[in-house]
Amino acid sequence: MNKYFIKAQDFETFVTKLVEAKQVIGPVAKKSRFVFEKLKNSKELRLDYDVTVLPPKKEFFPTCQPIVKFEGDKFEGCVNVEEKILFGVHFYDIKALDMTDLLYNENHRDINYMAHREAATIVGSNVQNIAERAFFGTVGVHVKPKGHDAFLTKIDDGYLFETYTDKGEALVSFGTFTKAKKEHESNALDVNNRVMGKCPEVLDYVGYESVANKVRKAFNNTAFWEDCAKDCFSCGSCNIVCPTCYCFDVQDNWNVDQVSGTRTRKWDGCLTEDFAKISLGFGAQENFREKRGDRFRHRIMRKTTYLNAKLGGPACVGCGRCSMSCTSDIADPVNVINKIMEV
Amino acid sequence: MSKPKVGFFDFASCEGCQIELTNYGDAAFVELLNHIDIVEFREAMTETAEHLTIACIEGSFTREADRGRLENIRERSDIVIAYGACASTAGVNALKNHQKDFRKDVYGEDRNMPHLYSNDRAVPISEVIKVDYNVYGCPMDKYEFLDIVSHLVHGKEPVIPNHPVCIECKHNETICRYFEGDHCLGPVARAGCRAPCPADGIPCEACRGFVDNPNEEAMEKVLIKKGKLPEARAKHKSRIFTAFCRSDA
Ligand code: SF4
Ligand code: SF4
Ligand code: SF4
Ligand code: SF4
Ligand code: SF4
Repeated sequence: MNKYFIKAQDFETFVTKLVEAKQVIGPVAKKSRFVFEKLKNSKELRLDYDVTVLPPKKEFFPTCQPIVKFEGDKFEGCVNVEEKILFGVHFYDIKALDMTDLLYNENHRDINYMAHREAATIVGSNVQNIAERAFFGTVGVHVKPKGHDAFLTKIDDGYLFETYTDKGEALVSFGTFTKAKKEHESNALDVNNRVMGKCPEVLDYVGYESVANKVRKAFNNTAFWEDCAKDCFSCGSCNIVCPTCYCFDVQDNWNVDQVSGTRTRKWDGCLTEDFAKISLGFGAQENFREKRGDRFRHRIMRKTTYLNAKLGGPACVGCGRCSMSCTSDIADPVNVINKIMEV
Repeated sequence: MSKPKVGFFDFASCEGCQIELTNYGDAAFVELLNHIDIVEFREAMTETAEHLTIACIEGSFTREADRGRLENIRERSDIVIAYGACASTAGVNALKNHQKDFRKDVYGEDRNMPHLYSNDRAVPISEVIKVDYNVYGCPMDKYEFLDIVSHLVHGKEPVIPNHPVCIECKHNETICRYFEGDHCLGPVARAGCRAPCPADGIPCEACRGFVDNPNEEAMEKVLIKKGKLPEARAKHKSRIFTAFCRSDA
């Protein structure tokens, strides 16, 4: 739609006004890391964050979400949809949200996710600091971020603010914006291009189709996968922090009265031991990914191969969250893919 | 299931889990009593019941003399629940299992008095009789206990997590202890507690015991490499609450 410029000294007032008028979710500091949280004031906003612990998906689908309240035979949905502005989302997370939008919208449409998603305004921001394990510069680079409403790029003396939708355009009234000049635009383009070459980690093979083919060929190399997963705790951290993962588990819990209760869904991950444990009826069970290596392979297949046709690229945006969250430091897709490509 | 007859029994324990049972608050506990009949409870009543739907057992097995009592409870009960770390994993009681002189350390001069005699090893109830469900934790979580009993009251199979505590840290978006230069046993500990310890900034000590297949070797490596523990300490670290769960138990 339009391109605006806002001076550095006017930016805080803009955010203050937004926070006063709307529910604004942005990156804030938490101990040594960052998380997306509801902003109480503009000072909390940390657009210089590197990466958040959990992806912004949690704003549309909280990690532990009560979905139904029941009382005897009566039940009622209990998801309250609120309008939110997600402020300061990095481009790789915008790409990932675009993927989860598609995945939650197809087949059995996830009404709870979609309702939140549709009520949200997403404002991107450029990556000012790069996470220590990021590799977004070499994975799925042909897949462009889309689905957001506006994008903010920090340039020398202020910010370029690009709007793409009416929702994005509506934010302009909260600040002192002027029409962007050509040099603001070219500066911003330069800032966003440059960051792509600065990732600490690099996939040696950028053609995602050749990666997918090679990974698929490695499927039956059980020894390789077992070796990758030797130190795996089956903790599922690599799944839970991943912005493109979308699995969950649903359980019912009764209150003390034994009549009323809540149905809750929680983020789940395929690396955990019981994820693929299924009932065969008559009390019998089977686990179709029983070994650590089987589960480790499954995630890599999902991130590099299985979803490519649907998404038009790999289901990994190179945020580096999985690598950071893995206590054994074995989850890094860069290491696994580079190793597979070597053989 | 019609109103189940429930009994409570205690063995070697601090009885902290019984206290946890009273923490629902009076109103809630009275409400629960509308749905179960408590027919045996040493702390509160003298009667014994011929038949129990659910027997809830607290504490470890550590005296040979208790075997008969346990077998008798099993015979009278449809379902046996071992609640709390002592009963489900032997908890801290199992610390004595790899010590030769625990009697001297604990009882000193009196160590040979006959009423103080106990076995060399403390073991979970499941080592003596068949246990249908375990409620882990030191102390157990009253909501998890309630959840398991509720499922049974409704004729459903309770779901007891078999994934590490890390997943619940992620649900809470807790900053991992390893990011703060600390150590943590969460990667091998059984979730279900909602990870309160790391959320409060202290390491998980695996009070709920291990997951079914803990990666002990990897844990030791991580404790040394990332947790910066000396090798010997890393090796013995998980003994506090999981001495009986370890592969060298
Ligand atoms: S697989 Fe890892 S790097 Fe890729 S999107 Fe998921 S968390 Fe990020
Ligand atoms: S990688 Fe695993 S947890 Fe993530 S979306 Fe795929 S199956 Fe689900
Ligand atoms: S985070 Fe690491 S240890 Fe945990 S399941 Fe993933 S690969 Fe395994
Ligand atoms: S703090 Fe402990 S339990 Fe939590 S994620 Fe880290 S290692 Fe796992
Ligand atoms: S976090 Fe660990 S130590 Fe704390 S309650 Fe849970 S299992 Fe026990």
